[in-house]
This record gives sequence, C-alpha cells and structure tokens, in this order.
Amino acid sequence: MSGVAPTGPATGSADPQLAPAVSTPSIGLLQRAVTVLAPLAGLGVVLLLAAVTTPGFYSSDVLRLVLFQAGLIGVTAVGQTLVLLVGGIDLSIGAVVGLTTVIVAGYTGGSDDRLLTAVLLALGAGALVGALNGVLVVRRQVPAFVATFATFVLVQGVITAWTRGAPSGNIPGGLSPLGTGRFLGLPLPAWVFLAVAVIAAVVLGRTGLGRRVYATGANARATALSGVRTGWIIAGCYVACALLAVLAGLINAGYIGYVDARLSRSLDLNSVAAAVIGGIALTGGRGRIGQTVVGVALLAVLLTWLRQLGAGPGVQLAVSGSVILLAVWLQKNGWTVRSPRRKKHGDGVR
Amino acid sequence: MKTYTGASRRRLRAPLALGVAAVLLSACGTEQEGSSAAGGAAEDCANADEAQAEYETAWTEAAEQLGLDKLEPTDERVCEVDTSEWAAEPKSGDSYRIAFAAQGPTNSWALTNEEAFKYRADELGVEVLYAAANGDATVQVDNIQQLASQDPDAMVVVPMGEGITGQVRAATEQGIPVILCAGRLGEDSGAVSTVTRQYELLGTMYAEWLVQQLGGKGQVAVLSGLAGVPTAEYQKAAALEVFESYPDIEVVTEQYTEWSPTVAKTVAANLVTQYPDLAGIWSDSGYGDLGVVQAYQEAGKPVPPMTGDAINAFLKAVQGTDVKFALSSFPPEQSMDCLDTAMSVLEGEPVLDKVYINSPSFTHEQIDEYVRPECTDNLFVPALLPDEELARLELC
Repeated sequence: MSGVAPTGPATGSADPQLAPAVSTPSIGLLQRAVTVLAPLAGLGVVLLLAAVTTPGFYSSDVLRLVLFQAGLIGVTAVGQTLVLLVGGIDLSIGAVVGLTTVIVAGYTGGSDDRLLTAVLLALGAGALVGALNGVLVVRRQVPAFVATFATFVLVQGVITAWTRGAPSGNIPGGLSPLGTGRFLGLPLPAWVFLAVAVIAAVVLGRTGLGRRVYATGANARATALSGVRTGWIIAGCYVACALLAVLAGLINAGYIGYVDARLSRSLDLNSVAAAVIGGIALTGGRGRIGQTVVGVALLAVLLTWLRQLGAGPGVQLAVSGSVILLAVWLQKNGWTVRSPRRKKHGDGVR
Repeated sequence: MKTYTGASRRRLRAPLALGVAAVLLSACGTEQEGSSAAGGAAEDCANADEAQAEYETAWTEAAEQLGLDKLEPTDERVCEVDTSEWAAEPKSGDSYRIAFAAQGPTNSWALTNEEAFKYRADELGVEVLYAAANGDATVQVDNIQQLASQDPDAMVVVPMGEGITGQVRAATEQGIPVILCAGRLGEDSGAVSTVTRQYELLGTMYAEWLVQQLGGKGQVAVLSGLAGVPTAEYQKAAALEVFESYPDIEVVTEQYTEWSPTVAKTVAANLVTQYPDLAGIWSDSGYGDLGVVQAYQEAGKPVPPMTGDAINAFLKAVQGTDVKFALSSFPPEQSMDCLDTAMSVLEGEPVLDKVYINSPSFTHEQIDEYVRPECTDNLFVPALLPDEELARLELC
C-alpha cells in the first residue's frame, strides 16, 4: 500500500522554498526515506520500550489487543486521512460513531431481524452528516475545524434530545462477530481495517479519483481551473469519512453489545493522531494510506503499552498529544515530502 | 472530616516510562473539589449527638446489608442548622418558587435526578425554576446568576464543580437559602445544607466487602470513573485507604473506565493478560462492570469478585451467572430529599448541615430482588419513582 505512488496531472509546486528541495533527486530520495522511516523508527522504539518494560507484551493475547485497537482506530483514521488529504479535518467522527450505536440499538431493539435496515439507516445518517460537513466547507466556506465541530455538537444534541439523555438498548447479536470475532486467530476489526486501507490505497494511488483528491488538497484553485470539480471531491471525502465512522460505530457496537453513551469520545483525536503520526500533512495533498497504517500501528502499540503500564487516560492523552506535536514538528522540518506525483513533475503551482 | 489530597497515586512500574510519564502525570494530575463538605456549619455544633447518630446509621445499615464484620464511619462532624432566619412565606403568589440548578439531562442518572425533583415538586405544589448546565460548571455559573435574578424562595444546586462556589455564595448573600444536592462544595459556599450520598461510604464499603471476599489477601485492581471528577476520586481515595490498612492486599493497578463499558472492557482485557492472579476488582461503576465481565468471559477466565453501582444493565447481564459482586447506589432520586430539605428550611425547621442519603446495598445473592428485566438498561435500582413515572420516562 505504502509503495503505491500516485501519478497523474502535474499540480506540483511553484513554492520557491520547496522547489529546490525536490529538484535534487538525492535530497528528494532522502526525504522520502525519512518520511517512511521516521514513523517506522518510532514504532520500533515503542516496541523496544514495551519489550523492556512490560514482560509478556509480546504474548498472543496482548498482540490481539493491539490489533483490535488498531482496527478500531484504523477504520476512522483512513476516513480522516481522506479528509486531511483535501486539506480538511473531521471532528465529527466520534459523534457519528455514537449515533450509529444509538440508531442500531434503537431501531432493532436487540433483534437481528431488523439489523440490516438499521445498518442502512445508520449509513444514511452518516452520509447525511458527511454531506452536511461537505456543504458547510465547500459551499459556505466554513473552516473545516469549525464546521465539523459544529456538526459534532449538533449530532450530540440530536442524540441527547432523541434519547432524553439516556441512550439504552441492546445491540443485535448478529453484529457481535464484527467486534469480537476472529479470522485466522486475529481480531476481525483488524481485518476490516486492512480491507479498508487496501481499498483506499488502491483508489488513491491507482485511479483518477485518487489523483484528483491529491490535486485538490495540494491546490484546490489550480485543480478547479484544470476542470476538476473540487467541491465534489472535498464533499465526497467528508461523506466517505462519515461512512467509515459508521463502520467504526458498528464495530464498536458489536464489541460491547450495548449503547455506550460515553463511547468514542477519543476517536476523533486518535484518528487525527494516527494520520499525522504516519506523516499525512495537515495542509493537504501529501501522504499515503500506508503511512496512516504505520501511524495506526504506532498509536495502537503505544496506547496498549501505556495501559499495560497502568497509565491513566490523562497520561494516554498527554502522550498522544506529545507524539502528534513531535510528528507535526518533524513535518515542519522536512519529515514529510511532497507526494511522489509532485516530486516526479516538480512544476506545480503550490 | 477527613481530607483527601491528590488521588493520583498511579504507579508506573517501568523505570523507562518514569522519565516521560512523571512529567506528564504531574501535568495531568487530578484536581478535586474542596475537601470539606458543605458549608453552613456553625462554630457550635447543635444537637451533635443525634445528628452524629443519624450520620452513622447509613454506615451501620450498609455493613449489615453486605454482611460486613466491620465498617468504620469516616470522621465527620454533622450538626443541626437553625434555619429560623430563612423561614418565610412565599415571595410571590401562594406557592414557593424553588430554583433548580440542575446538571441537565446528559445521562440517565441526571434525567432521573431531574424528573424526580419535578415529581416531588408537583406533589408539594411547588413551582420549579429550572436551569440545565449540561454538565458544565461554567454554564452553571450563568445559570445560578440567572436563577438568583428571579428571586426564588430557595435554590437547589447540583454542583458541577468547585468553580460555582462564588455564585452559590453570592446567592446566599442575596438572601436565597441554597441547598447543595448530590455533590458538595467547600465550606465557604455558604450553603445551608448539603444533601448527598456519601462518597466515602460507597468507596469504603466496596473495599471492605472485597477484602472480606478475598480473605484479606490478594491482588486487587482499582477501576475508577473519570479522573478529577469528585464522584470518582472521593470513592477511590476512600477505597485505597481501606486497602492500605490490609498489608496482604496488593493494589496492582489503578485505571479509569470513564464509566464506559467499552473503555472498561479494553482496560479489563489488559488486566486479563497482565495480572493473571488478580483476585478482585474494585469498581465504582456498574456500566464499567459490564465491560469487565465481558472481557473475562471472552478470555475464558473466571470473573473476579467486583463492586459497582446498581445499574439495571449490569444486573440483567450477570443474572444467572456465578459472578460475585456487591453493589450500592448514588441514587438519582436524592433530588427529592434535596427539595424536602429546602422546604424544611423555608418552614424554619432545623435541618442537618450534611444530610447523607441512605440507599440499599446488596450482593449477588440478592440479585433477584433488585433486577428489573422489564425495564431498560439505564434504570438505577432500586428505583424510587412510581412505575407509571418510570414508564413515562421510558425507563420501564
């Protein structure tokens, strides 16, 4: 996945500061290596620390915990990556995850008979939230941070009003395997994440749609001038992100089997963290799904290790925040290189 | 009264983690409400013996209900307050207007808490001026100001944090008697009385029951709710104090479940792998216990004895299993007692400066008496509201 190099129409950089950096193949190669290796090195360091400090970390049970964590974070992180690639950010993921569980429990009443319809309803609701985000960002030019946060609050308000603040109900047993099942001994959520990541990587790296996503994120105006309907691209990424949040909600629901009113509050942060740690640029247009996968792996190992150490949520959040800061700092100092497509052409307009 | 300072005693076993985590820990350290219960206590403690006896009743009953050999009440001075200065006729109209600065219906506990208050108000023929804080102390500061500006006869406040102390004091200085409900503030709040279930009682009784189950020795995990939230931190501090008094009890880890079954399940899944000899789990949450039970069952391991609050979801989940537990509650319906206390104040009847609510405690052996299969997961049991009211709230 990570090796998939998007190719396509040149929208590269006219930035005088960037141009020299990519004009020398050896420097570009070095930066590219750093881009891939830095998160991997971080992962290696955490794994090493875990091995030294936490006996039994490499047991199959703990590995399964890591993979489950990776699966849950990963599905939302792929969605977040899509939004980040077009220069946005989605803070409504957690709300959509919560809404999904409420819809499934509320509509099915715990019965498998109505599960399919409930899933369709949840997907519809998710698409609606994503579309709302897209409309706010594209049509009304609302900053993504504000638009998606407002949507988050709105959805939370809807959930509270609908359930009178007391969401309850059982999740149908048919959904349980999605959260607790195993395939080849590994947690099913990890496989779901893998499938989602592969699909996203192929779409981004091998299709015209993917090239348009990168181009839109790199320079929406120039891309629009070249005939690409960038508004649809951006809105589509928000919708895709919301639909993946619905999938994460279904995994969560299957995992615990209840409506969890406090569910998913950290998923927004974790999805951003995983993408940024992997090297996805917050400024859009740069990064690959493979990097997100590495970021997810690093974050999942880190969180599991901290739990094994007995660290509370405060420490976990603080460490996650610190790692994000470190990742952003490294990005600013040349960790992340421009997309391969733009390096290849090196004549863009950014 | 005992004070608890700094409930953060998390221990990071790994030396390598200490360097980074110690700094982070200090940055993320939990803060607590004022260490003292409600204000209003006079210098001379009136009717001290009777008040003290009433305070200790809850402890005695809890010990009996859980079959505990001992349950020593924490040091607490409870006094009677002369409320004659607050006695008054309704300020406007024929009925009293009571302001209710509520949490806001952000969860089923708060929903029930508020509906119970309104239910009692209807019974008493009292007009309620309501404001919801949505769980936010900053919002509640505004709420109290606005409610006070309507010059109610009395005010009942479900405190969202220490930050509202100034507004509470301002309201009392404005001539409005304030009752703190289901929470507490420092003595400088000026509140006439605090009506709440005592956190220390819950934390202590759970810990003593667990110790008794384990025969006084073994590894224990402490699963608390939310870091820095008084409901969680006071209970946890009380429990840790108990565990410290038993040299053969080892608290191997302290974690937070955020009162979420999902988070608790993740935490417990780690416990299963890391502490195979774990003998007991002290928890303050029935919701959290749901996740713990699932984690152990999915791992094929026996569920250790555990504690928590009495939520119907947990009872329904473990009915018919061999899971051992002790539960009690922080009853949402205590708001009715808060209103009753406010009315007593307005009538000039003496009240206690700290009214500690009593509530049933029970173990797995009495599960059939308490579980409500016909009701929703969110019902706190035993429910004190009548069935028709529970049906109206869609809790049953």
